[in-house]
Amino acid sequence: MTTYNELAGFRVNYVSSDPTLNSGNEGQVWYNSTSGTLKALVQIKSWASGGNLGTARKQFAGAGTQTEALGFGGEDATVISTATEEYNGASWTAGGNLATARYTLAGAGTQTTGLAFGGYNNVTYQVATEEYDGSAWTAGGSLATGRQALIGTGTQTAGLAAGGYNGTTNVANTEEYDGSAWTAGGSLNTARRYSGSAGTQTAGLGFSGNTTVVVPNTEEYDGSTWTNGGNVNTARYSPAGAGSQTAAIGFGGFSTANTGATEEYDGSVWTNSTSLTTARRYIAGCGTRSSALAFGGFTTTVVANTEEFTSSINVTTAAAWAAGGNMGTARRDLGGAGTQTAGLAFGGLTTTNQSATEEYDGSTWTSGGSLGTARREIGGAGTQTAGLGFGGYTTSTSGVTNTEEYDGSAWTGGGNLGTARYAPAGAGTQTAGLGFGGAVPSASNATEEYDGSAWTGGGNLATARFRLAGAGTQTAGLAFGGQTTVSLANTEEYDGSAWTAGGNLNAARKGLGGAGTQTAGLAFGGFTTTNVANTEEYNGTSWTASTAMTTARRYLGGCGIQTAGLAFGGRTTVDVANTEEFTGAFDTATASTLTTS
Amino acid sequence: MALFIYGTATNTGKGFFTAEDRRNFFLRGYPGNVWVVGNTEKGALWLAEKNGVEKTKAEAQAIVNAEVTAAQAAWDALPEEQKNRPGSNQRPTAITLP
Repeated sequence: MTTYNELAGFRVNYVSSDPTLNSGNEGQVWYNSTSGTLKALVQIKSWASGGNLGTARKQFAGAGTQTEALGFGGEDATVISTATEEYNGASWTAGGNLATARYTLAGAGTQTTGLAFGGYNNVTYQVATEEYDGSAWTAGGSLATGRQALIGTGTQTAGLAAGGYNGTTNVANTEEYDGSAWTAGGSLNTARRYSGSAGTQTAGLGFSGNTTVVVPNTEEYDGSTWTNGGNVNTARYSPAGAGSQTAAIGFGGFSTANTGATEEYDGSVWTNSTSLTTARRYIAGCGTRSSALAFGGFTTTVVANTEEFTSSINVTTAAAWAAGGNMGTARRDLGGAGTQTAGLAFGGLTTTNQSATEEYDGSTWTSGGSLGTARREIGGAGTQTAGLGFGGYTTSTSGVTNTEEYDGSAWTGGGNLGTARYAPAGAGTQTAGLGFGGAVPSASNATEEYDGSAWTGGGNLATARFRLAGAGTQTAGLAFGGQTTVSLANTEEYDGSAWTAGGNLNAARKGLGGAGTQTAGLAFGGFTTTNVANTEEYNGTSWTASTAMTTARRYLGGCGIQTAGLAFGGRTTVDVANTEEFTGAFDTATASTLTTS
Repeated sequence: MALFIYGTATNTGKGFFTAEDRRNFFLRGYPGNVWVVGNTEKGALWLAEKNGVEKTKAEAQAIVNAEVTAAQAAWDALPEEQKNRPGSNQRPTAITLP
């Protein structure tokens, strides 16, 4: 039997426990003497669906990265296209149009410094080059040889064009772009069209393609000469390529049929990888070997499908809500504070205003000391053992100013708010609290800061609102959602003195729950024109949809952090006692056990 | 095959559904203890383990409708002052099960 030592030239590490499972040990093989197993940390490769192109098309060009991609030109179901689309990692939006409509063109560069060259418009084999600045294309220097289905790679100021078809024959000549003009480079060894491309002007890669038959040949360019590399396993024409000369990926195309076959190149050998979900030819692509993007192409019709390739040692576990223990008293419009495993709920409304406090330990709610003033729509901040409740609605139409402080067993009176209000949001701690917004009874933009004994005025919200959510601290606060006369999507960020605009919620709503920090916020539930279960995560710039709650509801309580949130109470068609616990998405590196079979 | 299974079950709190359940199959709760579960082996098993009573979609929708109707009646009976107060609850609207 062949041993690993003979195969690989070195011995397998003999260890009593697994090494740290991080990228530093990626590809390592070891023998765990404790479990008696041979193990390895291997990459997990997958294609996942992305947002569809706005316009299905084929034989177009791609550039950029998986999260900042550019697709342009090609042929849609009816016409040769000038259209450009830009991808942000989730969806495509329209960019500026090419001046010259064409298909089978080549592309290079980035989303904001793109390069389009060559192609065909059913009349002329194109020499035209165009340069993209993120919004518009302008003319660049022309190719010496008009051609379609060419190899294209590099950057806007260091582009590479090779091979293709000039209307008479496949060509082998190479041209290099310097940002203004093309000059001749060394010729391909095998003239061909519809090859895949990757790399740079001085380290380029062309693979497979069509002579009179599909060929598996790979060639590597060093800035002056093409030399043969390893053959692809599945010869094909019109694949897409991405990455570098020594770390490339090729996918899609047509062999004897449309193929989704994906192969990875290490500079000498192509290795089969995970196939595209949708086999197709005339596909566009961009990105890197470990993070590629495939989009568009032709199955039996032009398609808009986008797929994202990921190669990682980590398995991502999706975010999810799980049921927590039910509250003792079902209620809505309650206050909340603390964490997922040390939560605090107080006040609220059943058929009457509530003073009851309940404490959560991660599984069960138990009664705590009652508020001195029963009320609903109360603001909350702090922790389970140092909570803060302020404002709210008793019978006064303008709300109340009362503040109360919780010590883990009893509430005592604190300093009154400067402005009586109900349905405000809160953030921070018992000794460095922040209260903002609310109804007086019209929507308020007032912010107040608490120091443990008194409230003082802070900077006003730009948008007055109530039934909003809050998160963060007194010097790094976050306000989101709520209502004026309509539900809002607005987010504002507080720096200790002033509010500035943040990214909008995807779903405008009021009466939502909130948790987290200014740069890692969590929004859940609420009311649009109906109760919603939507969950969104904030990264300091924008909100991203996450896994929905199980029970849609409004006027609920919330606390915790972005990766461990807690939602409790609220109203569906009735007041509910339901608790849900949010666990954010997380990555896990897992060692694989190797077998001899 | 239908996409969903419909049923009623009482939410017993912690552990009634887990994060793993949510990752494994579609699960949504509605008024009247109505639960809509993905029509998969795991989804069906979950409903059975929760002593759920399977309903047809029409039966489940009828339960939800009754809850909405009751909530609307309760809202209609509120004093006008309470209905018109800024931020007050809107009249409950119909809920359509998926």
